[in-house]
Amino acid sequence: MYGENGYTLIKELARSEDNLPPYNAELVTHISREIKKIYDENQIDAQQSINENIEASILNTIRVRNAVTKRNVRCLMAYHFNRLKCLRTMRWEFGSILPADIKSNLSTAEIEWFSKYSRLLANYMRSIGEDGVNLSIDLKPPKALYIEVQCLVDYGKFDLNDGTTLLLKKDSRHYLPRNECEELIRQGVFKHII
Amino acid sequence: MEDLTIDDLDNISTGSDDHVQITPAEVIEMMEEAWTNEKFAPEILPNKSEIVDIILDQITTMEENIKKLSSSDFTKSIYQLEVDRLRFLVSSYLRTRLEKIETYVIHILKEEEKRVERGSEKYLTEQEFEFAKEFSFTMEQYFDKMMRFYPGVPADTWSNKIIQPNNNTFVFLKSKKRIEGVPIDEGNAESDLVDIQDGSRVIISYNSVAELVKNGDVHLI
Amino acid sequence: MSLRVSYSPNYYSLDDILATQERVPCKVALTIQKMGHLNPSVAERDLQPGTSLELPLWLVSELSQSRAPLVNPELPKIYREAYREILKADACAVDLHKFSLFFYELGSHIKRFDKKQDVHETLLHTFRTRFRQLMDLADNSMSDPTVQQTLDILERKLFNDAYKARMKLNTWLKDSNTTIEAANMVINHKKRKRMNIEDLL
Repeated sequence: MYGENGYTLIKELARSEDNLPPYNAELVTHISREIKKIYDENQIDAQQSINENIEASILNTIRVRNAVTKRNVRCLMAYHFNRLKCLRTMRWEFGSILPADIKSNLSTAEIEWFSKYSRLLANYMRSIGEDGVNLSIDLKPPKALYIEVQCLVDYGKFDLNDGTTLLLKKDSRHYLPRNECEELIRQGVFKHII
Repeated sequence: MEDLTIDDLDNISTGSDDHVQITPAEVIEMMEEAWTNEKFAPEILPNKSEIVDIILDQITTMEENIKKLSSSDFTKSIYQLEVDRLRFLVSSYLRTRLEKIETYVIHILKEEEKRVERGSEKYLTEQEFEFAKEFSFTMEQYFDKMMRFYPGVPADTWSNKIIQPNNNTFVFLKSKKRIEGVPIDEGNAESDLVDIQDGSRVIISYNSVAELVKNGDVHLI
Repeated sequence: MSLRVSYSPNYYSLDDILATQERVPCKVALTIQKMGHLNPSVAERDLQPGTSLELPLWLVSELSQSRAPLVNPELPKIYREAYREILKADACAVDLHKFSLFFYELGSHIKRFDKKQDVHETLLHTFRTRFRQLMDLADNSMSDPTVQQTLDILERKLFNDAYKARMKLNTWLKDSNTTIEAANMVINHKKRKRMNIEDLL
């Protein structure tokens, strides 16, 4: 049945919320081929109807095929678009460096887009005000200056703004300025304890 | 803290005065209003860069002052919390705008172009406009690359599949004055009119009050 | 992120693409050469006028729109009179999910095929009637988890939003300290990683 591949592609993406499945190059290629094939079929039929002056009802066939192509294109567009949207969220949540296993799910073009978006965003943040504003922190309204956090991984050295250096070990607890550890909480290095 | 002086701030300039005195507290209040308006309006609103700039300056000044205080000074932490609060306010405001710009980028750029042609007020700041153009370009580039294998395929390109904000969204608002004859948009030619009392809270379709939000007569909550 | 968008499907909307895949009955109006394969019940080369078959909504919409429609759409049975009567009688008692996962989304496309506007009325009536129940449900979700399974996809989204809002309010009422949390995707990423490790062990 026409359009089944597109449907499968979209369903696969819709099912995985908050997580990006591997780029399905195989199915994308399949759909591309279908588009190409249908285009060629239409060319042949159109040519024939001009040459042989046969009944106009072949135009109906062409109309059906055009509808199928439109659908296929929509599925491809939506697939790529929604993946970029997800990547965008990842830029905000993971920062400009993606974990290797997520990166391996992306196509080359997507990795390229991600770094372009990252750069764009960094440029914009630098351009605000006198010396730029980092928009990827201060995500929640502040309640207290210092918060208690527990370290979830062996992170290594961490420099604080006042010049001291901490060694962050797994399960160690720290009492730190909120604005300095927020990004690490978002990235899952720290856990905020109340 | 002493009063700040700013030039041409549309909302508060009264007639011919070039300089208007407003207090930091008033600026913060204006920033808070800009923030909630932006958060709840479906479309992007005219930018409030003057207020943002004042707040950013204020943050810088306060941070410098904090550095001068000894760490045992109790007031230091109070100031720091205030700085954090302001920074959250500005960041959240700018983030919301950025997200709208990305989501509706083609629509927003087109509208902005029309505004420039008409000679009316621009909605985006220069930096936002720059970002929007670049972002739209990156998207177009990406989709051209993904879709270019298909010669002669009916042109469904990235730039003609426009996502528009849904301005029929319902919003909560608080009125700052008495307003008469607000149309309740039912899509009919002869729509009903309502009067909104000063200080009253109303839930209404955004379309009916978009202009009132922009000129500051009402405040989204 | 924080952008609150009211429900408005666009070209890229995954749900809309899924909904428009649902099959709709229709009758072929004109001969369509070489398209016999669209009707799996007979093995003919061409589609003949008068043939009844089911096609995905996206195809039916395209082919029925012009001045010379190739197919004439009919209402899927869940939007026909018998089912409309059931919804009119007591919309709350219906397992909408069994009707269709995309009851409203599909309905808002289908209503174009119904000149009498009965479908339109039914959609509005059903939503209005069920909305109150939905909100009750979100406030007391512990009561009966099976009820959730009777919702269509739009209702489910509303339910989830309302439920999350309720939980946030509860936390805030109990303790106004909100914790800073790891980002959603980061949490899921970790969960998956852990599962992979468990698989290996």
